[in-house]
Amino acid sequence: MKKIERKDFLKLGGGAVLGGLSGWVFSGAPFLGFQWLAEWTQDQYVPVKGFEKYAQAVSDSCPAGCKVSVRMIGDRAVKIESKDGVCPACHNALQLTYHPERISTPLKRKGDKGDGKFVPVTWEEAVKEISSKMNSLITEGKANSIAAINKNESLNGQLMEKFIKAAGSNNVYYEPSLKSLTSSALGGYINYDFANTDYVLSFGAKLVEGWDSSADMQKVFTQWKTKGTKIVQADTVCSMTASLASEWVPVKPGTEAVLAFGIANYLITGRRLNSTGEEFGKWSQLIINKFPLAKVASYTGVSEERIKKIGDDFSKAKNPVAVSGKGACGVNASSAEIIAVYCLNTLVKSKAATLMTNSSVTYKGEFAGLDSFIKDGKFSMLFLNNSDPVYKSVLGEDLKKKMEKAFVVSINPIMNDSANYADIILPSLSFLESETPENKAVVSNFKESKDAKDIIIALSKSLDKTKDTFSFASGIDSFKVAGKETASGAKFSFNVDKIKNDIDALDKKFAANAEYPLFMIPVEAPLVGDGDGLAFPYVLKSIDPTVFYKGKLLVQINRETGKKYGLSENESIVIRSARGKLDKVYVHLTDTVAPDTVAMPLGFGHESYTKYGSDKGVNPKKIMAADVDPLTGTADWWSTRVKIS
Amino acid sequence: MKEKVKEVKMKRRWGMAIDLDKCTGCGKCSVACNQENNMPIFEDDSDVPKRVAFLELMKVTNDRDAKFPDVKTAYLPKMCQMCEGNDPKNPNPPCVSVCPAVATDVGDDGVVSQIWSRCIGCRYCQTACPYEARVFNWWKPEYEGSFKKSLSTDVSVASRGTVVKCTFCSHIWKRERDAATAKGILDINAVLYTPACAGTCPTGAIVFGDLNDHDSEVYKLTQTDRAVRLTNPVDDVKDADKKKSLLKAKQFTNPKVYYLTSQQWLRDMMRFKKNS
Ligand code: SF4
Ligand code: SF4
Ligand code: SF4
Repeated sequence: MKKIERKDFLKLGGGAVLGGLSGWVFSGAPFLGFQWLAEWTQDQYVPVKGFEKYAQAVSDSCPAGCKVSVRMIGDRAVKIESKDGVCPACHNALQLTYHPERISTPLKRKGDKGDGKFVPVTWEEAVKEISSKMNSLITEGKANSIAAINKNESLNGQLMEKFIKAAGSNNVYYEPSLKSLTSSALGGYINYDFANTDYVLSFGAKLVEGWDSSADMQKVFTQWKTKGTKIVQADTVCSMTASLASEWVPVKPGTEAVLAFGIANYLITGRRLNSTGEEFGKWSQLIINKFPLAKVASYTGVSEERIKKIGDDFSKAKNPVAVSGKGACGVNASSAEIIAVYCLNTLVKSKAATLMTNSSVTYKGEFAGLDSFIKDGKFSMLFLNNSDPVYKSVLGEDLKKKMEKAFVVSINPIMNDSANYADIILPSLSFLESETPENKAVVSNFKESKDAKDIIIALSKSLDKTKDTFSFASGIDSFKVAGKETASGAKFSFNVDKIKNDIDALDKKFAANAEYPLFMIPVEAPLVGDGDGLAFPYVLKSIDPTVFYKGKLLVQINRETGKKYGLSENESIVIRSARGKLDKVYVHLTDTVAPDTVAMPLGFGHESYTKYGSDKGVNPKKIMAADVDPLTGTADWWSTRVKIS
Repeated sequence: MKEKVKEVKMKRRWGMAIDLDKCTGCGKCSVACNQENNMPIFEDDSDVPKRVAFLELMKVTNDRDAKFPDVKTAYLPKMCQMCEGNDPKNPNPPCVSVCPAVATDVGDDGVVSQIWSRCIGCRYCQTACPYEARVFNWWKPEYEGSFKKSLSTDVSVASRGTVVKCTFCSHIWKRERDAATAKGILDINAVLYTPACAGTCPTGAIVFGDLNDHDSEVYKLTQTDRAVRLTNPVDDVKDADKKKSLLKAKQFTNPKVYYLTSQQWLRDMMRFKKNS
C-alpha cells in the first residue's frame, strides 16, 4: 500500500479546496450573494403579501357595463380579468384606482381659472356653496342658465339629467358619441343585429378599433370571421378594420357621405329601390340631381363600376347592413351622412338596424347638441360629469372662455383639462370602488372620494326645488330607475330642409383649394383612443414608435405627397388650418395613408391630465373644422383643410 | 456545441399560436401582461428606448413594398419566442448557453425561464436573442406612490441592472398547480394554465397549450398551412432530407411561438423576405 506523503496530502487538500470553490461558484451561490447585495443596496420594493381571491365587478362608468373578475391580494386589486373581453377604460380602471394623482377631497379653486391651484374643502362646504349658487339662480328665475355636460349615458349621467331638469333647466348635454349623433340625426340610435348580418358596409366606422362598445365589437368580429360575414370598409387610411375587412374601399378624405349618396343614387335609379322614410322623394331628387355617379367617382376616388358593384352586392345580400359613424373611440359624422347611410338600410329593408331610445336620456337641450351649446349657449353655472369637453370638443377654447365667467363644478376621479377650469371639484370613483346591486365594491373608496351617483343625489337633496327628484337617498337604489331601452318608434325622416345646406356645401368643401391643399383626418392608436387612455402608464407602454416617439407626435403622410412637399422622415412640420396652427409635429411617411392627406393621431396634447398624460404631443381639435351640424349640434371635424410648411 | 448525454424528460412543451387574421391590435394583451408581470412605471413610458415591457405590440405594414391603396396593416404581439433549438428533447435556445450566472434556463416544461434576481446584468443573453425579446433595466423599476398597490406578489420586482423577459407567465402555472394541490389533486403536471395575454385576448387570437399534446388546439394550429415562425429559415425548407442535414449542420432557434396568417406579405415579412 502506498503511503500518503505530506506532498500528496497537501495536493489532496488543495484539490478539495479548489473543487469546493468551483462547486460553490457553479452552484450559483455567489450569485445569490450578488442578488442579495443588489437587492439590499437598491432596497427594491416588495409587494405586500395577502390572501388571494377573485372579486366580481360590473362597470357602471360606461353604458357597455363590462363584467370583470378582479384578482385580489388581500384588499388590493392587482389584475383585471374577463372572459368576455373588456373595453380599454375598464382595463385601465386598475391604474385609475391606484393613480397617484387621484383627487382625494373636494377642492375649491384658489388661483385664476386654468392655473390648477386648488385647496381642499369639506363635502359640507362644497355642497353648500354649490346649492346656494344654484338656489340664487333659481330664485332669480335664471334656472335655465344652469347646464350640465355628461360624459355618457351611464346611470350617473341619467341622474344628472334628471337633477338638472328638475332644477328647471333644459340644458343637459352629452359628449358626442355614436348614440348621441345617430339619435339626433335619425330620431333614435341604432341597435345593430351584427350577429345575424351577412354583409356589413361600413362608412369609415373603425369597427374593431374601439368603435361603439369595443368589447362587444371584438366578439362580433370573431363571429364574423367564423361565419365568413362580408365586411366592406370605406376608409381613407389602411386602418386595422380596413386591413381585416373582406374588401377595403379607399376613399378620399371626408368623402364617406358622398360615397353613400352615390350608392343610394345607384340603388334608386339603377335598381329601382325605395325608402319609406319621410321626404324620401325630395331627398332622392336632390341626390340624383346633385350627385350623379361620375361626380361621386371623382369626389371619392371610387370608380363608377365599383360603386355599382358595391350597390349590387349590398342589395343582393341576405341580411345586409350599412354602418355610419366614422372613427374609433372618437366618432364623427354629419347628419347628412348618417341619414344617407341609414337610407341604404331602408332601401334594402335591412332587418339588422333598429332605431332605439333610452327613456332617461334626451340628447337635445335648448340647443341641438354640445357644440352648438358651446358656440351659442349662455350659462352661469355648469356641471361637468366626468366629461372633458375642453379637451375633446373642437370648440374647447371657446368653452374655456365661457367657463371663466361661470361657476363650474366638475365631478371626476383625476384631473383633466376641463376640471382645471372648475370652481369646485368633487372627487368620484373608479368602478372598482363602486357598488352595484349584484356586487359589492371591490376595493374601498379612495380617501374622501364618493360615487358620482351619490354625489348627484346629495346635491339634489340639498336644494328645495330638487329635493324630491329622487325617492331614494343612495346611489345603489338608483339602479331601479335606470332608463329602459326600447325601439324608438320614431318615423325616420330625411329632414331635407335641415340638411340641404350641408349637402350643398359639399361642393365647396371638395373644390380645389390653393391655400389649403391638404386634408387632415384623425387616426387613433390602440388603447389611447381619443385621449382617455393617456393618463395610464400601461397605455403609454403600448404606443407604437411610429405614432409617438421620445416626446414627438408623428403625423402620417403618404410618400408621394411627402415627395411633393420635400418632406423627410421625422422632419418637424407646421400644420395650418383656417382656425390656427399646430407646431411640434413630426412626419412619418407611409403609404398606408391616401395621398394629399395628413393622418393625425387623436388623444395627445392634454394640458392637465395628470403628469403621465399631459404635455405629450398636440391636440389637433384646436385647429380642426368647427362647422356645427344643424341636427346633431356637433361640429363636423372629421376632415379639415390644411396646409403644411 | 457539446451534446448533452441525457435526454430531458419533458413534462410539458408549452407553446403559443397567435392568429394574426384575428388580432385586431386592440392592445389588451399588452395591458394584461404589464399588470400580471408588475411592469415598472416610469414617468414617461412612451419613451420607447427606456421602456420596459415583455410584450411588444408591433405595428407592421407592407408599405415599403406596396403603394397606396395596395397596402396592409397588422399588429404583431411579440414576446419571448421560447426558442428550443433543433432538438425539443434537448432544448438549446441561443440565450441560455451564454448566461454565466445560470439566470436563464429551460425548464422541463420547455419554458425559457429568467430569474431576475440571479441576473448579473452582463446582457450576453440580450445580445444573443435574435428576437429582441429581452429588455434591460437601465433604471431602477419604479412604481410611483399608490401604483404600488396594484403589484402582484407572484412576480418579484426586478432590480436595476438586470435583464427581464416574458416567462410565458410560468408563475400562473405554479399558481394553478398550488391551487390543484390544495384541492387534493396529485398529478400536478396535468394542470393546464393560460398566460395573461392569452387569457385576455378578446378575439381569441392567442391560443396557448402543450405542443406535445397532439390533441391540443395549439398543436393543431401549428400544423396548419397558415402557421409561420419568426425568421426561422429552416421552416422554408420543404425537402425532408435537406432539412435533416441542415439541422445537423446548424442550430436554429425553432421558436415555440407560432403565428398564423393567411396573408402572404405578412409571412414574407416575418421571414425577412421581400415581397415579390
Ligand atoms: S389582445 Fe388579442 S386581438 Fe388584442 S392585440 Fe392582443 S392578440 Fe391582438
Ligand atoms: S426569444 Fe430570445 S429570449 Fe426568448 S428563448 Fe429565444 S433567444 Fe431566448
Ligand atoms: S406569456 Fe405572460 S409574460 Fe409572456 S407576453 Fe404573455 S402575458 Fe406577458
